[in-house]
Amino acid sequence: MKKSIYVLALSALFFTACKTDKKQAESNSMQPSEMNMKEADGHDHGDHDHDATMGEDSSKEERNIDATTQKNSATSAIIDSYLQIKNALVEDSKEGAAKGGTMMLTAFADFDMSQLNESQHKEYMEILDDAKEQAEHIVKSPIDHQREHFENLSVDVNDLIALLGTDKTLYQSKCPMAGEGKGAIWLSEYKEIKNPFFGSKMISCGSVEKQIN
Amino acid sequence: MKLLKKIVPFLLVVFVGIQFIPTKRNQSTEVLETDFSKTFTVPANIQNMFEKSCYDCHSNNTNYPWYNKIQPISWLLENHIKEGKKEFNFSEFGAYSKRKQKNKLKSLASQIRDNEMPMESYTLIHSDAKLSDSDKEQIIVWVNKLRDSL
Repeated sequence: MKKSIYVLALSALFFTACKTDKKQAESNSMQPSEMNMKEADGHDHGDHDHDATMGEDSSKEERNIDATTQKNSATSAIIDSYLQIKNALVEDSKEGAAKGGTMMLTAFADFDMSQLNESQHKEYMEILDDAKEQAEHIVKSPIDHQREHFENLSVDVNDLIALLGTDKTLYQSKCPMAGEGKGAIWLSEYKEIKNPFFGSKMISCGSVEKQIN
Repeated sequence: MKLLKKIVPFLLVVFVGIQFIPTKRNQSTEVLETDFSKTFTVPANIQNMFEKSCYDCHSNNTNYPWYNKIQPISWLLENHIKEGKKEFNFSEFGAYSKRKQKNKLKSLASQIRDNEMPMESYTLIHSDAKLSDSDKEQIIVWVNKLRDSL
């Protein structure tokens, strides 16, 4: 009996030690950033300059990809995992989408950031931060949540291509009913419309807006 | 019976023992510059609902119930708060990228619309954190407007 009390006391000490370490580490990483966004109008957002031609509200959502982008194969693994998620959602397969989410996390982990220049790096980190979170949710969520996160992910991957390019031929399509009626885009490796936001319920909803490469 | 005599004291010792293990308290008197309320102009009634229904698990300051000091409840709460803050932290919202802010606002609205948040296990005890249908509607409309402005 005595012995077990000692063991407990010891382990309590041990836990205390671990906790303080962790606490310090966390408070170190929690420096609030210098960014302050009190002005919510966001029109000074330089990234969206060339979006100006599309007057609609929702066009602010994504960056405009030039029809022919830089030929960059470094983004291929990320795009492949995205297409895996997309195709699984077209087939209403939660498991397939989850698998694609895991693939994407690996693809981002393997991505070589050393080739990015300084200005690309900042935006890449923002895309990465967001896309990883979407992928993590796609791994663990029911299919309707997967689809919500896939909407965000499509904007992220679209922006990634606008930023870094791809050597793949892709089609950017839009479904006007997705995004709670505001419309949402997705990317596909084929021209034919197969809707990932609704799957079999509305498989042919949407139209191709643009061909990339 | 003999076995029970051994097990009960053992469990008692464990229960008393775990009381000594400290948990990280999520409390802060400072309202950061990055707090949601300082990042945007939030109507008082909306901010009030956020603070009552969300801030306990989604900010750097939790209003703890008395039983929080009892293990293993402390652990459970600590975990909830850690997870909650990772998903959405009102105290640091201003430090999120615009991309992330937009997506988080979208999730906020859809979680409330689908009655996933605030969690039932939470509103069971904190009845004042419950949102009425009109509360929800107000939050969703305001959040969607904010998201469109970003």
